[in-house]
Amino acid sequence: MAEAERTRVNKVVAVCGKGGVGKTTISAILSRLLSEDAIGRVLVVDADPAVGLGMALSRFPERTVNDVRKEIISTVREHSTDSMDLAASVDYKMMEIVMESGNLGFLSVGRPEEEGCYCQLNTLLREAIETLSSHFDLTLIDAEAGVEQVNRRVMRSVSHLLLVSDSALKAVRVAESIRKVADDAVNYRKLGLLINRARGEEDARQLASRTDLPLLGWIPEDDTVREFDAEARSFLEIPSCPALEAVRSHILESGFLSD
Amino acid sequence: MGLFDQPLNEIRAYIDGKYRDGLARELPFTPVIPRADSTQVILSEDTGLELGNPGMASRSLLLWDSGDGLADGRITLVGPDFPESDSASLPFAQVLIVGGDFSDEYDCYRDLRDATYNIRLRGFMTRVFPGRQSIWCRVSKEALAGGFSAQILGSSLIQALKQLDFVRGAEVLMVTSSKGDVDELAGPADKVLDIVEALIKMYEEMNFDCEECEYVEVCDEVVELRQIRERLKTEREGKE
Repeated sequence: MAEAERTRVNKVVAVCGKGGVGKTTISAILSRLLSEDAIGRVLVVDADPAVGLGMALSRFPERTVNDVRKEIISTVREHSTDSMDLAASVDYKMMEIVMESGNLGFLSVGRPEEEGCYCQLNTLLREAIETLSSHFDLTLIDAEAGVEQVNRRVMRSVSHLLLVSDSALKAVRVAESIRKVADDAVNYRKLGLLINRARGEEDARQLASRTDLPLLGWIPEDDTVREFDAEARSFLEIPSCPALEAVRSHILESGFLSD
Repeated sequence: MGLFDQPLNEIRAYIDGKYRDGLARELPFTPVIPRADSTQVILSEDTGLELGNPGMASRSLLLWDSGDGLADGRITLVGPDFPESDSASLPFAQVLIVGGDFSDEYDCYRDLRDATYNIRLRGFMTRVFPGRQSIWCRVSKEALAGGFSAQILGSSLIQALKQLDFVRGAEVLMVTSSKGDVDELAGPADKVLDIVEALIKMYEEMNFDCEECEYVEVCDEVVELRQIRERLKTEREGKE
């Protein structure tokens, strides 16, 4: 792709949902598919403090965005720094912590630190992620839970909101409440519900009939996924299996990401 | 007397020495520069050449004075030019020497940094980490194949600096030869860092209690800093 085309507004997909529904697994499978897809450059952001996506993809960055934050705070305490140098330092360090491999870039946000108020620095960090993201064709964010965390710490603009639920109605209700927050917090273009570990199509349809969230599809329980989880193997190497093919069908081939 | 007299003398001696030893060459300043619309991010897969990446020797210095000893428009390169490099990664030092009328040193310093930190050239990414005086650049494969060179970078930097109304002239030194040649700049670089940090502290913190200040030795050494401090102190007392 020509460099002139590279700096354009990309697609930013946030994977959100109640804890334990399988957001990280879906994100990992999607990363695997996108690593081979013709969609172009993909920035994968592990925004969950549990850093599960890094483990699922066998990406173990030495430093996270939060480490950068701590390093900058420490630098400011030790050396006289003004806002211009602070911004330059943030840009430098953010570039340093992106793990690049093939068409995938990986960034881990890390655990948030609540100590002290560093609003200016937090804004600079978010802007640095946004600048970085704008040079990828697609940014995939595995979120902690709700979209407000993404909005506050990672990106102000999410174009595609992928809500993940399991077969429990409670998880669907959480997805609905995330949409409610997202309606105010981010200017997303598309939103869809993916039901993970569904027992079958009928099970997914029944659950979908109890919500007005648009159903993208359902992902079956899958022994290959369970095996990769149990063995801590990288999902970037997961072979074709029912869960992977379902994600391919419902997210990539359905046109959900097409605009 | 200027803020950077001592480190400037050392850098000029470095440049003269490299020319004398036949290790430096002068590249012509060419003012027509293609600019990019936004800050560039070059990903590793697109990178043709890295300069001063975080694992390599790297220095970025910015110094200024009235411009009396300045070789305006001179671009000095020590080491291979970018398209000549056999390696995908080179150590890198970039030294910018600016001549002009710096009535307010700190405001001018902000403008100088703004002009050079945000240099926007298509296919060229630059990141600076001022606290460590590091600079990290990537030249894209496409730009490298298209002839992106030290001359283009140097000319672009000089051009950006000369657009500032208080700048009369500018000179650029780039070092790509070896870690040793980059590290030779450590002495003047440390002095530059001390002076700049002291300057930032004076303006940003407005603290003139010299007994409490960690930069008191720097101010004792650099007359110009003491003059700035006295001027700021007087201005501040006038406001109170």
